[in-house]
Amino acid sequence: MSVVAQKSTPNYRLRRGLLRGLLYTILIVGGIIAIVPFLWMLSTSLMTLGEAISGRFLPHVPQWHNYVVAWREANFSEYFFNSVEITFITLGGELFFSILAAYAFARMKFPGRDLIFMVLLSTMMIPGMVLMIPNFLTVTWLGRVSPIKWINNWPALTIPFMGNVFSIFLLRQFFAQIPDDLFDAAQIDGASHWQFLRHVVLPLSKAPIMVIMVLSFIGSWNALAWPLLVTNEPTWRPIAVGLFQFVDEAGSELNLQMAGAVITILPILVLYFLTQKQFTESIARSGMKG
Amino acid sequence: MHSKLSAMWHSKRGRQWREYLTAYLMLAPSVILIFTFGIFPVMFAVYVSLHRWRIRMGKFVGLAHYVRAVESLGFLLFFGVAVGMLFAAWRAWRAVIAAAREHAESPWLWGVPGAVLGVGGVLWMRYGVILLPGVLEIPNKAIGVKRSQGLFRKLLWEAFTEPHVLVAMGAAAGVTLVGLLLWWVLYRRRPSARHSTYILQWGTGVFFLLAGFITAGFTYHQLQLTVQKALQEGKPPTIATHVVLITIGLILFYAAWKLWQSAVDSASDKGFAFKGLAALFLLVAGWIFVAELPPVIEAGDPDLWRGLVVTIYYALGTVPFQLGIALVLSYLLFQNIRGREFFRVLYFMPYITPTVASAAVFRLLFIGHPSGLVNRFLRLFGIKPLKWLWEPRGVFSLIADGLGVHIPSWAAGPSLALVVIIIYSIWTYVGYDTVIYLAGLGNIPNEINEAAEIDGASRWQIFRHITLPLLSPTTYFLSLIAIIGTFKAFNHIYVMRETEALKTVNTFSVVIFDTFFTDTRYGYASAMAFVLFAIILSLTYINNKVQGSRVFYQ
Repeated sequence: MSVVAQKSTPNYRLRRGLLRGLLYTILIVGGIIAIVPFLWMLSTSLMTLGEAISGRFLPHVPQWHNYVVAWREANFSEYFFNSVEITFITLGGELFFSILAAYAFARMKFPGRDLIFMVLLSTMMIPGMVLMIPNFLTVTWLGRVSPIKWINNWPALTIPFMGNVFSIFLLRQFFAQIPDDLFDAAQIDGASHWQFLRHVVLPLSKAPIMVIMVLSFIGSWNALAWPLLVTNEPTWRPIAVGLFQFVDEAGSELNLQMAGAVITILPILVLYFLTQKQFTESIARSGMKG
Repeated sequence: MHSKLSAMWHSKRGRQWREYLTAYLMLAPSVILIFTFGIFPVMFAVYVSLHRWRIRMGKFVGLAHYVRAVESLGFLLFFGVAVGMLFAAWRAWRAVIAAAREHAESPWLWGVPGAVLGVGGVLWMRYGVILLPGVLEIPNKAIGVKRSQGLFRKLLWEAFTEPHVLVAMGAAAGVTLVGLLLWWVLYRRRPSARHSTYILQWGTGVFFLLAGFITAGFTYHQLQLTVQKALQEGKPPTIATHVVLITIGLILFYAAWKLWQSAVDSASDKGFAFKGLAALFLLVAGWIFVAELPPVIEAGDPDLWRGLVVTIYYALGTVPFQLGIALVLSYLLFQNIRGREFFRVLYFMPYITPTVASAAVFRLLFIGHPSGLVNRFLRLFGIKPLKWLWEPRGVFSLIADGLGVHIPSWAAGPSLALVVIIIYSIWTYVGYDTVIYLAGLGNIPNEINEAAEIDGASRWQIFRHITLPLLSPTTYFLSLIAIIGTFKAFNHIYVMRETEALKTVNTFSVVIFDTFFTDTRYGYASAMAFVLFAIILSLTYINNKVQGSRVFYQ
């Protein structure tokens, strides 16, 4: 009784209102800080060079032309499609190999299964800096002795990332949850492992496959150090490296830099807004970021 | 009747073998790729770090790179690896004993094939080391000749069939074959359901025992060489004493930690006081010994030492703020408010943005020119334009200068350029931490809060005594990821660093990458990378020990 009485006094309501106000103020200020760099990037990308250097907040007349220049002359079209190709090749190989391995780990019995799985999992804690130097030597070696080029070509940019422990782990956990009854029923009907995988397991596993696609996409869109090592001409340079070198070399063309940044960010943002929930969840689950 | 049974047995067995083969084939691509680009490189990196290696392989230099990087700690690192291997051997031995005791059988006979196979494993490693130089030489042999697959195959064949390589392979294969044969014979004579467990544990045990002794012997040999060289040059051989002192210090620390644990567990106040006091003494003693540590590290590579200091500043500047802000934001978002989804999407945006792009934007926002956006914003408050990313001077000394006070150089603090990078990191990671905290808050059962409310607890009390403790696993997870992340941080720093900031923003990973990529010192960079690995491992271990005991799991 007394609690209710306390809750309806004007003093309490005033305090409550003030608290609410404070709460929303903090949240909105946080939101503004999160978004201002994006807005400023958009606005600068539409300025003339003079406006960008003098540091205006908004362009006088929006220079849509900047995007055409960045896309064509600053080579962003090439970098963009390089990244798309790299993403698709990596993703294709990674998904195919990971699904096979995860199925074997989850649904088949063979000697050494748990040992192999443990060894694979333990590689996840090795920092990338330790692997980078020997992998660069390996890739250079492979490029020199094999019939296809590796450096400045797709193999060096994609093949090392096709064997992904995290993907195998994620899929294995999911495959292991599929009820045994389904498998037994399929076996009685005479289905092979391959048929069971194709017609039962894969249609059920859209969620983890989506997670892997999102992570792989972000991974190749973010990659900087490794592509910097294995590409030294624009033919296969991915977009992050392209933008980095544009920022580093063409230091003065601020408006074009920002147009390039917008081009780089756009695909990821579109994907984010389309698959918002899954996107957030997949990243939250992996804790990864370049 | 009998033949029918045996036929069935055989067909069943045949099916089982087919199943094994299918499974191995399905694993093969992933396992080959992960081995080639995830496991083999670790061993290869050790090999590279022991050589002079500037684009091409040079001569063997032993632990010289490690000594140059961290002085005598290099030896300590390798002794540590040896101790770790011996520990692994001991663990395998314990597993054998435990399994044997549980099933009341004798594990000793299995030790014979197991040990032979363990020796075989060591011999295979030796084979790899002997084979590697020849294989690495192949591209150099193919220079100037028209390259074809045929030539490549021929050169590869030559590398594998050189006499000393063949001998090494023969030794390894022979010993392994003998081991397998003994295993088979023993299994025929005395079948045991746990034969493969015994063999595996014996094998790994003997393998790590040998590997540990080889590593320790190698390190000791290198230590001796270094001391001799120092004596010849007339310098005092400080290295050996350093190693001994720091080892004693670390052992004392460990003893203090163990004693403290038992003090906390002890029932009587007297016991607690006594043990606690003893632990304190050990801690102080350990500290006196380990006090050698900073001068030792400082005697190493100045670039690496600076990288370590920068990384520590960077971690101290980002982790607490990032977690604190995220905690507040997620707690507010968790209240019954409108537009929660909208705010969450907004806060998460910086995190998903490609790093190079957002770092490029921050580079322009914090440009060291008066016309930069941040400088113009500050002018509204009457603050003079700052040099931001171009400023190598420490923030504390800048503030002190502004107040007209002089402070010593060691108190200068992180450079202003590094502060900008810290701000960028907080801006990026707060969204991620908020999302994880929101999930953590969602896992707290509502009944607990309601019960506390009925008991008359205030909001603050509920937050302090219920929410915060129940969130501690989340905080633990996030802080571990964030601290390790600071040591791995690379992309944004690489984009935002300016020559004007000198080297004041180069964290550990950036220093390694520069040594590798710009200076092309592959061997030395590999050694640095292992120092980084050691730091990350020990941070994880310490974090597990310290926070693990204080985290409250439901």
